Parts: sequence; structure tokens; C-alpha cells
Amino acid sequence: MKGIGGRLLAGAVVLGLSASGAWAKTFYWISHGSPADPVWTYFLQGAEQWAADTGNTVNTSFHNGDVASHQEAVRAAISASADGIVTTSPDPGSLVEVAGEAVEAGIPIINFNTPDPTAPFDAYVGGDNVVFGRNWAQYLVDKGLVKEGDFVWMPVEVPGATYGVQEEEGIKSVFEPLGITYEVTDATLDQAEIITRMSDYLTANRDRISAIIGLGDLVTGSIKRVFDQVGVAAGDIPVVGWGNSLDTTQEVLEGYVNAAQWQDPQATSYVALSLANMEAGGIPAGFDVITGALYEKDQAQLYDDILSGN
Amino acid sequence: MQRQSFLQRLVAMPEFGPLVLLIAEIAVFTAINPSFLSPLNVSNTLTFTVELGLIALAMTLLMTAGEFDLSVGSVFGFAPVLMWTLFNSGVAPLEISFLIAMLAAVGIGLFSGFFVTRLKIPSFLVTLGMLLVVRGTALYITDGFPQRTWNAAGHWLATALVGDFHVGPFRIYASLFWFVAAALVLGYVLTRSKAGNWIQASGGNPQAAAARGVKVGRTKVALFVLTAVMAAFAGMISSIRTSAANPNSGMGYELEVIAMVVIGGTVLTGGRGTILGTVIGILILRVMRNGIVLIGVPGLAYNIFIGAIILGMMALHSWLERRHNAGV
Repeated sequence: MKGIGGRLLAGAVVLGLSASGAWAKTFYWISHGSPADPVWTYFLQGAEQWAADTGNTVNTSFHNGDVASHQEAVRAAISASADGIVTTSPDPGSLVEVAGEAVEAGIPIINFNTPDPTAPFDAYVGGDNVVFGRNWAQYLVDKGLVKEGDFVWMPVEVPGATYGVQEEEGIKSVFEPLGITYEVTDATLDQAEIITRMSDYLTANRDRISAIIGLGDLVTGSIKRVFDQVGVAAGDIPVVGWGNSLDTTQEVLEGYVNAAQWQDPQATSYVALSLANMEAGGIPAGFDVITGALYEKDQAQLYDDILSGN
Repeated sequence: MQRQSFLQRLVAMPEFGPLVLLIAEIAVFTAINPSFLSPLNVSNTLTFTVELGLIALAMTLLMTAGEFDLSVGSVFGFAPVLMWTLFNSGVAPLEISFLIAMLAAVGIGLFSGFFVTRLKIPSFLVTLGMLLVVRGTALYITDGFPQRTWNAAGHWLATALVGDFHVGPFRIYASLFWFVAAALVLGYVLTRSKAGNWIQASGGNPQAAAARGVKVGRTKVALFVLTAVMAAFAGMISSIRTSAANPNSGMGYELEVIAMVVIGGTVLTGGRGTILGTVIGILILRVMRNGIVLIGVPGLAYNIFIGAIILGMMALHSWLERRHNAGV
């Protein structure tokens, strides 16, 4: 009796494993970002939630902007016969070859967060930094917050990084024809150093700054602390920029930041993995999904709740 | 025996060169932009200066003993993350979380000290490894998310560490007093106590010091612990002030701190150190960072100027040092 029971149990385990093996797929989520960058934690959260919701496995990795390491991760996923790959693009053109290898191997490969139209990705999910930059500049102009001859300060965490360069391109397309000048300054990725450098710059240039555009999440999320340090009241200098952190949603609610850009980080990962899964099931993804919304005080609570996990 | 005048004694001090540099720096920046010495700017400059300065003070003693610690920036980021994780998750009240984070720093210092003194591995390699372990731990326990710190407002510990008040037009943080107290205590220890003799002997000639009964190993382990504890303390002060405990805080601080100590006159190879010089070195570097923004260098040229000024200052420092050693 005991022997039969044991065999039945073993059989049930084997059947269970076979069944789960038949359903569960393995996807690779590959990011050029840093695990220490707060916004990437939200992207990661979206991937983890997708894995929990679908029962599929998602192997995640961060590559801190290292192109060689990023390419290696994509090739490792191809070697492992992944059911699908979702990846950012560390630099334009850097994944052309490896994306081609994935396509050749018949593995769905979806690009998210940083677009690269030169690589043969199946689809793109995410925002458009050039459009975001143009929207920030246009917002300031349309609301009458800047005019010809004004000066706009644009702090950024990593000068020269793709996101800031693309945003500046969009901003320039609006400001240059109107004779509005601007300066990009290096704020670093360290919170205390960001506040110090931004406070120094604001102290030195308070009189000539008509508006501020925060080109990254950390700098925009530091505005309240910088204003408090230098003695600038909320609303005295118009501010727009990124809004994927609780610091910024609070700043928008309190009037320190006029409008902030939501990137839908969790949704971006979630939708990218869904598209990869759909392709793995045989339905091709012949379209891109563009995410993002510029929110003001009246919608800020919605994003604050999302980021708070409420 | 001829008595030296005050001026001669001043010029003969090893801190004289860095002091001249600091005065020259302040004079140049003020001449270009008079608001450099405005109360607002002086208050802002001192705020972050003393946080980095706390680490530099401890590093001075460690470098005098012939070692250095590359993990201070990671400990600066890790300790507040640990403290706020424990507090925010309801595991312990803020005071206990603070003590646990400090104990963790003691453990990190003991570990580094043990590896350097018992296993005879150079401190460069040991603390480089520790830098990665500590930073990785901070990332792992937080999943990369910054910890919320703003519910500390009004807590007595937050007030004691970084409470701010106004002295006339100046906004002063309590951290300035912690820095002054640490400088006085460590200055006394280094120059007027038996422990100070042991520290200098350990860095100058460890074999000879050991032969004369100096416990070189224990001295160095104690200094690794002191350095880690000061880095943790500075990190927690900074996290409360900036309302942010990011696992990536403190990246690159180790090199800036070592530069502060060396510019102040402490010898990189050990054997001679000066707390007063380090205080001047701290001010030289932070004032320079603040000043070049105030005089309006282009935003993206910031690092060019910082690097060039550091090179220029080190050249001037070296020249003044040679004149000093030659008795000119």
C-alpha cells in the first residue's frame, strides 16, 4: 500500500512538473540602466509583477550603460533559447547585430525605454525623449512662463547620456527659434552632491533664471530641497521635468514643480513582456506602443498613489 | 637659543602652505563674485562640507598609520539605508536602528582591519573588495529603491544630528558642531596622546614600532573601525538632511576624501598627519567646487576646472612644501 502511495505521489509530482514545464516560458529582461537608479526599480517591478501574474520566468539584468556586457546578455539569452527577449538600447546602433541574431534564431525581441530604429527589433514600447523635451519647452512657452531673451537652466545627472541629449534636442527645437537660451549643468547621480551643486548654481544665477527643466528624475526630485536651501519659495521659478519619483509627485502637489513627465515605468516593462509573450505564441507584434503623460497638480495624486503602492 | 617670532613659527608649520592656498582661493573667488562670502553661500557651502569632513578626519588618522580605506563612500550610503530600512519596516525605533547601523559599521571596520593586519593583504585590495560588498548589500536589501526619510522630521535624533538654526543671517546645522567636536578630539588624540604616538609610529616604521612594544595591528584595526563608524555617522547625518537614503549615495567620496587629507599635508605613505591640515584641505576642495560655480564657469566645463585647479594646487603645495623643508 505504502509502495503504491509512493508511486502515485511520485507520478503526481512528475505530471505536475511536466504540466508546469509545458506552460511556463522563460523571458529575458535586459536593461542598460543602473539598479541604483530609482526609476529603474519601477521598471523592474513591472517585470516582476508580469512574471507573478503570468507564471512565466523573467530573468532580469542591469548593465550600467556597458554596451559589451549588454550585448553579452542578449547573446546569452539567445544561447539559452529564450522564449523572448525585452531589452533597452544602451546606445543607438549598439544592438543592431545581436538583435539580428535573435531574429535569425526565431526569438521575439522587443525594444523598450530607449528606442533604436536602426536595430531589427520586432516592436518598441516606451516614450520618446525628443518629444518629451519638446513638450516641456512648449509647455513653458504656451503657459507664458518663458519668452524671447529668457534663460532656462537644465540640470542633468549624467551629461552626454542618450536621454539628456535627446531631450535637449527636443527643447532646442522650441527654444532656439524663439531666442530663448539655456544651459545644461552636471549634477551627478549622488543625492547630497546634486543638492549641493544645484544650490550653488541657483545661488549664483538666481536673477537670470526664468525657468528650470529637470532633465532627469533625481534632479527634478531635488527641486524642493534646493529651493528650501537657497530660500526660493514654491512657484517663484517655474519648473518642469521628469516625474517618476515620489519626491516629484510631492513637489507637483506642493507647487514646487509645475508639470512633470510620467513615463509609465511599470507598465512599459509589463507591456513589453506581454508583446514578447504574444509573439512567442505566434501572433506578430507589428506596432509600437508609446507611453508617457505630462501631469500637473490635479493629476499628481494618481501617480503619487501608484508610486506609494496604494 | 634664539626665540622664534610668531610669524616664523607660523611659516614653519606644515599647515602653512595649505592655509595660504585657502586664503588665496577665497580672495580670488570673492574678487570675481562678492556674493561668494554672502551668508547664504557660506551657509550652503558649510552644510555638505562638514559631512564629507567627518570622514576625512578619521581617514587622516588611518592614513597617518600607513593605510587607507576605499569603502568609506559605500559605508556612507549603506548605513542610512540600513537604518531607514529597519525603521520604515517597523523592526526597530529610530534610535535602535541608528545603533544597529553603527554596529554594522564597526563590523565592517573590524573585517577590513582583520584582513589587512592578520592576512597581510594590502588595504587597497581589501577595502576595494569591501566597497563592492557593502554597496551590493545596500542595493540588495533595498531592491534599489531609495528609503523614505521624511517621517523623521521633529524626532529628537534628527534634531540632534542635523537640526538647523539661524545665527544672524547664517543658517547653521548641528552637524557643524559634530564636525568641530570630532576635529578637536581627533586632533588631541593624534598630537597629544599615547595613541597618537602609536598611530604615527605604525605608519612611519611599523617594524621598529612593533619592536618598541607598539601594538601596530590593534592600532590599525581600531582606526579601520573609527573610519567606518565616521563614514556611517556622516551618511546618516546626510540622509536626514537631504531626506534621501539612496543605496547609491557616496559614490566616489573615497577619492575626494583622500584628496582632502593629502592636500592638507598628511603624507600618503604614512608616518605624518595633521588634523588642522585636513580641516584646511576639506575647505580648499569644497570652497573650490562652490567657487567655480559662483564665478560662472560653463556648466559642462565644471570638471575641467576642478581637475585643473587640483593639479595647480598640488603643484603649488609641493613647491611650498619644498621651501618649507629647506627652511626658506
